[in-house]
Amino acid sequence: MKTAMTFIGIGALFLIPAVAPAYLVHIATFIAIYTLPVIGLGFLTGFTNRISLAQGAIFGVGAYVTALLTTQYGWSPVAAFLPSIIGAVLVATVLGAPAMRLAGLYFVMATIAIHQIVWIVLMNWIDLTNGPQGVRSIPPLAIGSLKLETPHTYYYAAFGAALVSFFLARRIVSSRLGLQLRALSEDELASAMSGVPVYRAKVVALALSAAWAGAGGFLYAHYMRFVHPEMFTLEPSILFLTMAMFGGYRSLIGMVIATAVLESATEFLRPFGEFRMIVYGLILMLGMMFFPKGVLTLGPVWHRWFGRSRSANA
Amino acid sequence: MLAQILIGGIATGCIYAIVGLGFTLVYRSMRMVNFAQGQVFMAGTFLGLVIANRFELPAVPLIIIVGAVAFLIGLIVEKLVFRRLYHNHEVFVVGSIGLGIVLTNAIRIMFPEPVPFPKVFGTGIVTVGGAFFQAAYLWVVGLTVILVVGLHALFSYTKAGRALRAVASDIEMAGAVGVDVRKAIAQTFGLSFAVAAIAGVLIGPLYFVSFDMGDMIGLKAFSAAVFGGINSIPGTILGGVIIGLLENLAGGYISSAYKDLVAFIILLLTLVVRPNGLLGRATPVKV
Repeated sequence: MKTAMTFIGIGALFLIPAVAPAYLVHIATFIAIYTLPVIGLGFLTGFTNRISLAQGAIFGVGAYVTALLTTQYGWSPVAAFLPSIIGAVLVATVLGAPAMRLAGLYFVMATIAIHQIVWIVLMNWIDLTNGPQGVRSIPPLAIGSLKLETPHTYYYAAFGAALVSFFLARRIVSSRLGLQLRALSEDELASAMSGVPVYRAKVVALALSAAWAGAGGFLYAHYMRFVHPEMFTLEPSILFLTMAMFGGYRSLIGMVIATAVLESATEFLRPFGEFRMIVYGLILMLGMMFFPKGVLTLGPVWHRWFGRSRSANA
Repeated sequence: MLAQILIGGIATGCIYAIVGLGFTLVYRSMRMVNFAQGQVFMAGTFLGLVIANRFELPAVPLIIIVGAVAFLIGLIVEKLVFRRLYHNHEVFVVGSIGLGIVLTNAIRIMFPEPVPFPKVFGTGIVTVGGAFFQAAYLWVVGLTVILVVGLHALFSYTKAGRALRAVASDIEMAGAVGVDVRKAIAQTFGLSFAVAAIAGVLIGPLYFVSFDMGDMIGLKAFSAAVFGGINSIPGTILGGVIIGLLENLAGGYISSAYKDLVAFIILLLTLVVRPNGLLGRATPVKV
């Protein structure tokens, strides 16, 4: 039954470009792309309890690696996929591994430093990154002679990647490493005593989160066909963090739903014009004020209210 | 050249120090970082701008009035917003970031373009040993010293200030011995808003003011607070001045493009090597 539902769901998502208007396909493509860095954040935050505000920068590293390889060095986009991931993992582990010993607020502070360092380098290393000019005319993703130039065709690439990354993440979570991570997220000291290589597992979680972000950045660069440092400010980091947080970090499906809801919400806020960002800020602020345990905790609340009204009737 | 760089560095450092104090005051009491502090500073600058344009006050009364109004706003915002965010630090981080986004974009709608701030410190040029700089720099440094002395006096010699210190050192014990903890926390936020707005009035006349001025200064001030010790007021001042100096030295002798990196490299190194900062106490959780 459950498998059948999964297949029906995936099939329905595959049909989106055939039936939905272009604008919805565009949003759906973004949702698929953002799923990757958000799932990545799930590895880090869900299993090591460390909140990162650097995910947007690591996402940017992935986007820049492919942008530069394909435009400056003539690589084909498909060949640049692995280097994007490796670049993101390298930057994240070199800067972030020493910080994995920190916990709580101190780790958040360190990720802000990492984010700013990456961003300032993207902005100022003009010889390499083209600085504030950004990198233009990134070639479209092409498989053989098939060029994925329109949102409709690109949707399949993004959705396919999101799907693969989702199931890969599920495998990792249920693997031995996933068990170690779950153990250390409960109690680092106790799991160290039971033979979990705590520090190594945490660095692996960091590397995994960066790999997912790098892959997301790769997809983003070839969809936008243009990258600019301003795309990778703290704003996407905050967005990814909120998506992972509202989704509950540990629940992959929860994070995917939260990504879809928040991304569509910010799109549907467009009619608010310049008030859009104010509304977005208010959503973050009020969401945290009134649903401190994530929006998915609305479920139990709903249940309680529903239950109460029923018992009142009885 | 060197004198010029040093004086500029100290003046910038003083701004980082005062904005950083806003982080420190809140962190000491709540063990939370208010990530809207940079935007509060920016909004405080605009508060100063509006008051200065309307009443044409001289510098000192302007600063006192802006500080007082910001203090009241801080009390109100604490009551309406922050009070509901104390669950844990992630909630506080994201909630305060949301507040920062609201502030930035509200000001952006009112003032979409950078605006000049009235030259409340005059336009004189001072020469010291071959270095030329605006007289306003002296105001910045002098008023920072006065502000720090004032804060020290407040915390050492007044009942309200001692209550704040008691809450900062142990919130439960402070409550047990009869400190009104809620009031003290509200006043802490009020003070952090007041110092942020005062920093805004100090920096305003030096540059144009714009809705995004709080982002970078806020993050650098935060680095300064962590570097000096985020629970130590003297540490924050020291951290701010050192970062201001190093940044200006790097800008003068190494590369002006990368001078913004200084603060964040210092922040990362501090956290990895000495998370308590230069003068801070207490240990964060390390595993």
